[in-house]
Amino acid sequence: MSTTSFADELRARSDAAIQQLFELRPDLVTPLPSDFSALAARANSTPSLIRALENLNKWQIDLITAMCVLNEPFAKSEILTITDKSAAEELDALLSRGLIYEDGKKFRIVGNLRNLIGDEPAGLGPRLPANLTVDYSLLATAPEGAMVILERLMWGPPRGEIGNLKKPTPAIAWLLERHFLLAMDSKTVVLPREVAIHLRGGIVIREVNGSAPELTGTARKEREIDRAAIANVSTFLRWCEELAHNWSDEPPTALRSGGLGVRDLKRTAEHLGVDENCAAFVAELLFISGLIVIDTDDQILPTTNFDIWLTRELEERWHGLVSLWIETSRVSGLIGKVESKNVAPLGPELDRAGVPALRRSVLKILQSHPELDPDKNSFASVIKWISPQRFNQDYVEWTLREAEWLGITGQGAISSFGNSLLNGAEELGLQAALPKPVDHILIQADNSAVAPGPLTIEISNMIGTIADIESRGGATVYRFSEASIRRGLDHGQTGEAIKEFLKKTSKTPIPQPLEYLIADVAKRHGKLRIGSSNTYLRCEDEGLIAQILHDTSLDHLRMRKLAPQVLITDVDLHEAITALREAGYMPASENSTGILISAPTVRRAKSRPKPPRILSEIGTPTQTVLTSAVRALRAGERATSHKPRDVPRTTANQTLELLHQFIEDQTTLTIGYADTNGGVSNRVIDPISISLGTLLAKDHTTGEVQTFRIPRITGVSAAE
Amino acid sequence: MSDGPLIVQSDKTLLLDVDHLLSDECRRAIASFAELEKSPEHIHTYRLTPLGLWNARAAGQDAETVIDVLLKYSRYAVPHALLVDIADTMSRYGRLRLEAHPVHGLVLVSNDPAVLKEVTRGKKVAPMLGLQLDEETIVVHPGQRGFLKQALLKLGWPAEDFAGYVDGEHHEIDLVQEGWQIRKYQELAAEGFWHGGSGVVVLPCGAGKTIVGAAAMAHAKATTLILVTNTVAARQWRDELLKRTTLHEDEIGEYSGAKKEIRPVTIATYQVMTTKKQGIYAHLDLFDAIDWGLIIYDEVHLLPAPIFRFTADIQSRRRLGLTATLVREDGMEGEVFSLIGPKRFDVPWREIEAQGYIAPADCVEVRVTLTDAERLAYATAEPEERYRFCATTQTKLRVAVELANKHDGEQVLVIGQYLDQLDAIGEALGAPVIKGDTPVKERERLFGLYRTGEITCLVVSKVANFSIDLPEATIAIQVSGTFGSRQEEAQRLGRVLRPKSDGRGARFYSVVARDTVDQDFAQNRQRFLAEQGYAYRIIDADEILNS
Repeated sequence: MSTTSFADELRARSDAAIQQLFELRPDLVTPLPSDFSALAARANSTPSLIRALENLNKWQIDLITAMCVLNEPFAKSEILTITDKSAAEELDALLSRGLIYEDGKKFRIVGNLRNLIGDEPAGLGPRLPANLTVDYSLLATAPEGAMVILERLMWGPPRGEIGNLKKPTPAIAWLLERHFLLAMDSKTVVLPREVAIHLRGGIVIREVNGSAPELTGTARKEREIDRAAIANVSTFLRWCEELAHNWSDEPPTALRSGGLGVRDLKRTAEHLGVDENCAAFVAELLFISGLIVIDTDDQILPTTNFDIWLTRELEERWHGLVSLWIETSRVSGLIGKVESKNVAPLGPELDRAGVPALRRSVLKILQSHPELDPDKNSFASVIKWISPQRFNQDYVEWTLREAEWLGITGQGAISSFGNSLLNGAEELGLQAALPKPVDHILIQADNSAVAPGPLTIEISNMIGTIADIESRGGATVYRFSEASIRRGLDHGQTGEAIKEFLKKTSKTPIPQPLEYLIADVAKRHGKLRIGSSNTYLRCEDEGLIAQILHDTSLDHLRMRKLAPQVLITDVDLHEAITALREAGYMPASENSTGILISAPTVRRAKSRPKPPRILSEIGTPTQTVLTSAVRALRAGERATSHKPRDVPRTTANQTLELLHQFIEDQTTLTIGYADTNGGVSNRVIDPISISLGTLLAKDHTTGEVQTFRIPRITGVSAAE
Repeated sequence: MSDGPLIVQSDKTLLLDVDHLLSDECRRAIASFAELEKSPEHIHTYRLTPLGLWNARAAGQDAETVIDVLLKYSRYAVPHALLVDIADTMSRYGRLRLEAHPVHGLVLVSNDPAVLKEVTRGKKVAPMLGLQLDEETIVVHPGQRGFLKQALLKLGWPAEDFAGYVDGEHHEIDLVQEGWQIRKYQELAAEGFWHGGSGVVVLPCGAGKTIVGAAAMAHAKATTLILVTNTVAARQWRDELLKRTTLHEDEIGEYSGAKKEIRPVTIATYQVMTTKKQGIYAHLDLFDAIDWGLIIYDEVHLLPAPIFRFTADIQSRRRLGLTATLVREDGMEGEVFSLIGPKRFDVPWREIEAQGYIAPADCVEVRVTLTDAERLAYATAEPEERYRFCATTQTKLRVAVELANKHDGEQVLVIGQYLDQLDAIGEALGAPVIKGDTPVKERERLFGLYRTGEITCLVVSKVANFSIDLPEATIAIQVSGTFGSRQEEAQRLGRVLRPKSDGRGARFYSVVARDTVDQDFAQNRQRFLAEQGYAYRIIDADEILNS
């Protein structure tokens, strides 16, 4: 009997079926295989099959395993017999994924899949050699202990160790003699596949799990979920801001191996008042959003994008962060785990393939169970069924934890905002639900100020420079101290400006001690002056200094007299020396150590953000890609079926004649076409018209209408 | 979004907007489980602590009530994690119980063997426990009740104490409300204490803590030991008790350096209790001299370490701590709570003031500028000498004298730290000086003259920081203090807070040297009062000297 190959079967599939295959296994279209043989080979390759298996649920995996037990080709009824009747519905799913294929009315498994499933599918041993038979009726008379042994091996693993084959126990001897067991080597016996299946009652799969287990948990009320989610969202956004501001003030230095050190992480966690896992998560998310970056000098700093980000509405900020989180392949939960000591936030070792898909599955389950705070174990069992190959207890728990931090969930259940975002809604309604910004503070006698809500950005920036934050949450408590006022003055404020600002912003009168404090600090601030200058001139001859200062030819140096014997200028040393020499002076340069450079007020990275690459699943291709992929494949198929030599050479006149004829008949043609280098390739085309020595035709490979120069056409024949 | 008066912060502080309509209602609701941290003019700060939550649990509130209150009054959404944490913390209370066993005495009991296992593995706890009777019961070594409770609290598994209190020897005590009435808050404080069993009552200076003590005694109707800071305070307690209760003179004993009387109600000083004779505390036996039914610790924020240790031994007796300022610069507030008992009553100073039970006070910081010569000398002084130097500058003397003269005719107290300075001021004002070496008799005489108005100005050292009742003092001038001590500042203000017969306000001057450590210390000292809502006014010394 002739067998259909996998490639043949694919070739015979309808365009729609091929499109479906590409949709389910997008890795098959990137890059596009040249023809169906290549497609079959790709679909049968180990990496592609592993990806395909990752997307199967437990029941589908069980079915594939069971099929590996059968001899090929197998009929539908065979597979139903050894599994369950409900398996019939899943066959189409497996077929459309190109994991099994039809051979006439029967089915075959894609060859390589057997290797992936292994030699002992479903814990079944090797087949009984053809020359041996087993009489199951003998089991009724089995000696004591024999059944126990069989039951032990029945559900696998099928091998068992015995002391010595030469001296078996009576039970084992009895089983071996009647081929219920086979000897593998001097110490190992194995239960033959047929015997095991008989013992299993004719089926292969122990339990039929046709659908996911029920998700259990605590019921929550929608109102409370959203309330909790809003608290989470505003808290999370606050953490982001806090962290970036904190790192702007005290930038951590990246480790040599890349990433944030443990000590800096601890400090940051303390600053935010969260645990280290959470701090690491916030840092990671800011990093992949390009809001913070590891600068060229290894300092970790917020970028200018952060300043832009701050001007956005809260909803937009949240939307951006969450969207990135859903897609990222970086797993911040790995940080701080004992077994992953070297994994640092912002470091290079956080990517884990398959995580985005798992994360999406988790979110999907949450979405399909509104108003439910799922029980951890129940959730794990559901995920384990949906995606047994990807399942990882830690990753699932981290995803749930992170979803709560982000406010996608509130009290563990999906919030309406999270739901809208996952459904791709434009408006989440979050902005309206978040607390409105307030534009005033209350100053109290103990030199503290309370902002009874989130402050508008201008006010929070200003007060952040002149006061220290003492407590965070819905409100913010600030404390004024000598150091904090000084910081404000350092940032370019004046005592008067601070007072003016407080007077304007505070709903309550400014207590007198605070006014005194500001005045006191302002009075002392700036008595000592410090500045930076590129070049200085000093000379003990005060006359010479005066002369230089008034020398009009040196005006462009813009010198300033600091002291009777010292001049400074902002031009650099060499320029100044040259200018002075040209003017007839004889300066000698001094060692320039000790020049002070003041720090800019707000530090920002100089380099452009280079957020880490995101490892991700290959996305589902769009309809256009799918159609053109199928078309290209078909064309490639036709092209390969006509080797270049197959097109008979024709003269230019013959060519023209043939072309005219074919245009009339509207036949698809194969032509030989010489390129500018003289190489001849075959094209499959639909000719449209001829004019001015060129042929206008639709090329099947590109799907485009293009022109072919007739003298370059080496031959024409009808395509088959 | 509701518009409640309460903002719940993620660091577990609660901010109460006092100007809000519901603020009073909210304050009452949260007071039972959150601790009042500060109460300035507009926003009061409460804190959720494990201790506070456990107290609430002990008082019969469950986590759900607490969470409901927060959700009800909160202006913004409350972080879920915080609510979970509250429920978690509260569920830890009562898993362990201290009970009286008919045979084995005190036993530690738990229905949760895992918790019992965990605590018995604690290094500190293990030696206090004896035989394990069964899976749920372990014998506690006698005398370890206090220490064990303290250690368990530190482990985060507070034990609910069902072992009860001894009644002590019965002694009939009643309040005699003739010509005066116990105030509402005093009654509430005494009741709060009595229902709690043991604990601390925090009331501002001058708000009548003695009466709370007397009311507690009336509840207990048992022999009482009262521990006070010094002999003068002891006599004041005796006078108050004689006036306010049915007690007679021969029922009240004084146990001090001078007298060693043990009577049904005995008033002892901390000093005598902690006096060592040949290396042992000879007088601690007093705790066992009578079967006391109640022990009152006056000014509990000053409780000395030996008494701490001894207090741990007497956990079966009722204990009442009284203070105005439960801030200890040594950070031992936690010890006070676990040994004496949790805070049972606290009320913002300003609230009592609003009710008219303490005088309104005007706090003024007078800034003195050092002369150039003084500045130079200050700059070159040894670091440890600096405070003394700037605190005792000559200019301060002039300002203090000028201030006292300005308030001629009113009752003035000048308070300071350094004796030379006080002597100099005393001399300049022609006023008597009371110091540590002034005999008790002399002190009492001078205080007596001051009360009657025969002397209008007194110069006192830190001996008069506490417990000295000088109702008519209206002006206090502080020239120097114990560095940055917050409670000292509050106590000194307390000297002038007793309500005046004519309803006048009090004034508290703090003279501070500008641009020196004195100013830094002053800022720290003022913090407690500022947090209680006392806003300091700052004036320049020149304004006084030139006027």
